[in-house]
Amino acid sequence: MMGTSARTCPECATNVSGTDNFCERCGRELSLSEVSVGSSAAAACHNCGSPAMTADGFCETCGHKAPSGRDHVEIDLGALAGVTDRGRRHGRNEDAMALAVTQTPRGPAALAVVCDGVSTSHRPDDASLAAAETALRVLTAELRTGTPAADALTSATVAAHKTVSDMAAGSEDAPATTIVCACVADAVAVCWVGDSRAYWLPADHSDARLLTRDDSLGEVLVAAGALTETEAVESPEGHVLTRWLGADAEQAEPPHTTSFEPAGPGVLLLCSDGLWNYEPSAAGLAALMPDAAVENLAAAAASLVEFALDRGGEDNITAVLASFPCQ
Amino acid sequence: MSAPDFSVEIFHNEFLPAGAREVNAIVTVTSAGDVASEQPAAAGAAEIIIVDCSGSMAAPITKLIQAREATAVAIDAIRDGVAFAVIAGSHVAAPLFPPRGGLAISSAAVREEAKRELRRLRANGGTAIGQWLQVARRQFETRDDSLRHAILLTDGRNEGESAHDLAAAIAWCEGVFRCDCRGVGTDWKVDELRKISTALLGTVDIVPDPAGLAADFEAMMHASMAKQVADVALQVWTPQHAKIRFVKQVAPTVEDLTARRTQLTPQKGDYPTGAWAAGESRDYHVCVDVQPAGLGQEMLAARVSLVYGTPEGPQALGQGQIKTTWTDDEALSTKISREVAHYTGQVELAQAIQDGLEARKHGDVVTAEAALSRAVALARESGNADTAGLLAKVVDVDPATGVVRLKAKVADADEMKLDTQSSKTVRVKKGPS
Repeated sequence: MMGTSARTCPECATNVSGTDNFCERCGRELSLSEVSVGSSAAAACHNCGSPAMTADGFCETCGHKAPSGRDHVEIDLGALAGVTDRGRRHGRNEDAMALAVTQTPRGPAALAVVCDGVSTSHRPDDASLAAAETALRVLTAELRTGTPAADALTSATVAAHKTVSDMAAGSEDAPATTIVCACVADAVAVCWVGDSRAYWLPADHSDARLLTRDDSLGEVLVAAGALTETEAVESPEGHVLTRWLGADAEQAEPPHTTSFEPAGPGVLLLCSDGLWNYEPSAAGLAALMPDAAVENLAAAAASLVEFALDRGGEDNITAVLASFPCQ
Repeated sequence: MSAPDFSVEIFHNEFLPAGAREVNAIVTVTSAGDVASEQPAAAGAAEIIIVDCSGSMAAPITKLIQAREATAVAIDAIRDGVAFAVIAGSHVAAPLFPPRGGLAISSAAVREEAKRELRRLRANGGTAIGQWLQVARRQFETRDDSLRHAILLTDGRNEGESAHDLAAAIAWCEGVFRCDCRGVGTDWKVDELRKISTALLGTVDIVPDPAGLAADFEAMMHASMAKQVADVALQVWTPQHAKIRFVKQVAPTVEDLTARRTQLTPQKGDYPTGAWAAGESRDYHVCVDVQPAGLGQEMLAARVSLVYGTPEGPQALGQGQIKTTWTDDEALSTKISREVAHYTGQVELAQAIQDGLEARKHGDVVTAEAALSRAVALARESGNADTAGLLAKVVDVDPATGVVRLKAKVADADEMKLDTQSSKTVRVKKGPS
C-alpha cells in the first residue's frame, strides 16, 4: 500500500521520505505512475504457442492475430487501481487509462485519467493512449508546483486535446477520444469532455452520485424531456457525442470541472461507457462494489469489469477506483 | 530477362459470423508494366507450331491449304531471336522445319526458309496427338528456353492412339511448355483438346471455317510473343489445420487449379499460372476452410504470393493477405462481397453450359434445358454478352414466358463454339458495394 511510511529508492537504495517525489541522492522519480500500454508484442502465439510471428503480428502456424498488449491491463498503485479490457465484441481495446500517486505541497494525491477513443474516428486507440499519457504528465507536473486541482485538471485536459489534435493528418481523419480525469487529495476534483464518467461511491450507498454530465445527444434529449434516462442509454443516438478531444472538435468552452470535499470516506470511480451502459445509476454501481472495496481497490475494479463482461462486454470496459481520503 | 513485379489485391468480406469456417476471397493479380510499351527479350523464348496433316485434312483440300497459310502467317509473327520449329502431325510426328528437327533461330531469312518448307506438308495418315506432344517436348528440350509455347491445330479425333496414351503424353509435357489448341471444322472433340489446353495452361477454340485460321494463328502468336515471365506460381499459405476447398482462376477464363497443387509444406503449396505478359491481369477465387476463432479475433486465413523460379531459388514477386475476423454484428458478417458473388456466378455459368451440352449429347432434353436455362439467366444477370450470344445459337428463349428450349436444329459449330468458350468470364465491375 502507498503511504507516508519510510521506504528506499529503487535505484540507489537510499532511505527516502514518503513525501518525496524524487530521491535526494540520485534524483530518481519516486512517485508511482503507470499507463495502460500493456506488454510489448508476445514472443509466442497466444493461441497455439508457436514462436514464428509475421511482422504485422499474425501467427505463421495458426494464423491468429496476436492480441495487443492493451487488450487487458490491470494497474494497482494501492491508493488507486484500474482495470481496462477489450470486452467481448470489439477487435481491440480503444480505452486507455493512466494512474499516478504523487506528493503535492498539500499532501499526497491520487491522479487518474480514463480515455475512450471514438470508434468512428481514425486511430482511436492511439488517440486515447496519447491523451491519457499527456494528461497524466501535465496533471502531475502542475499539482507538484502547487496549482489548484481544478486548474491542473483543466490544463491537463487542454494539453491532451492538443496532443490528439496534433495527431490528425487532415481534417478528414482526425483521431478523437473522450477524457475524464480526477485528483483525489484533500478534496475530490474531476474534469471531463465526452461521455466517460466519474461516480462518487461513499460507504453509505444511498449517498452515491454521478459527478459528471455526458457530452452526448442522450444527455441533451433527456434534459429536453424527449427521452428518459433508460431510453437514452438504450438508444444508439443517445451515445452520439457532442464534445470530444481531437482536431475536429469544437473547444469553444473549457472542459467541465467539478470538485467537492466529501463528508466521509468513500471511493471515486472513473469509467468508460463500456461499464456504465450496463449500470448507469450511482446506487447500482455502489451496490456492485465488493465489501471492504477500499482494502483492495484492484480486486474491486476487476469485479466491476467482470460484471460488464458477464453482461455481454459489448464495448471496451475501463474502471478506475481511488480511495478518499488519499493516504 | 527480368521478372516484373506483381500487384496483388484482395476482395472479400473480411467478417464471418460466429463459428463460420469458410473464407472466400477474389485475388486480382496484375503484372507491372504496359503490354504495348514493353517488348520482352526474344532470347529465352521458343515456339513450335504443330499442324495436323492426317488424311482428313485433304477433305476438302482447302483445309490443308488454309492451315499452311495460317502457319506461314504465324511464322511471320515470330520475332527475331526466338527459337522455333514446325511439326507435321499424323499417326506420327515429323519435323517439317528445321527439316532435321531441333529449333531454328528466327530471322527474316530463316522465316522465309521455314515457309518454303511448308510446301512439303501433305495430308496422309491418322491422328495420334500424344505423339505430336512428345516430339514437341523433345524438340523444346534441345535448348533451355524458359518461355516455351506451342500452337496445336487438328481437324479430327485422336483415333490413332488410346485415350490413355494421350493422357500420358499430356502429363509428360505438363510444366514443360504451354499449348494453345485449335480445332478446324467440326469433326474433332472439344473434350480432347480441352484436356490438353487445360493441362498445358493454354486456350482452346474452334475455327469452323479454315479461312479464319490465319487471323487466329497470328493473334495467338502475338499473344505468346508478349509473354515476359514463365512458370509463375500462385503460392498459397494457409494456417495449420486449414483446408483449401479450391483455388480457381476465374478471369479471363475459369480454370480449376485445386488439383494442380505442388505441396511445399503442409501449410504451403504452389499452383501453376503459366507465363505472364507485362500489364496482364487475372482474377483467382481462393476458398479456404479454417478453424473458427473467437468473436473479435482476427486471423490470417491465407497469404497469396506470386512466385517465380530462378536459378537462385524461388523469388516472390508480390503478395496479398486474406484476413478474417469473427463478429456477431450481422450487418458486417452478412455483407456479400460483390467480387466473390460475381465470380461464383461466372463459374456456375460455365458449369451450367457444360452440364447442359453434356446432357444434350446423351439425349437428356429435360436436364439440358434446365441447365441451359440457368446459364441464360446467369449470363444475362452478369452482363456476359459474349456467352449470352453463343447461348442464343443453341437455345430459344420465349420472350413472354422466359422458358428456355433447345433449338430443334443446332449447327455443330455453334455448339462446339459455346462449349469451348463456356469458361470465358467477364470481369466484375470494381467499386464500392
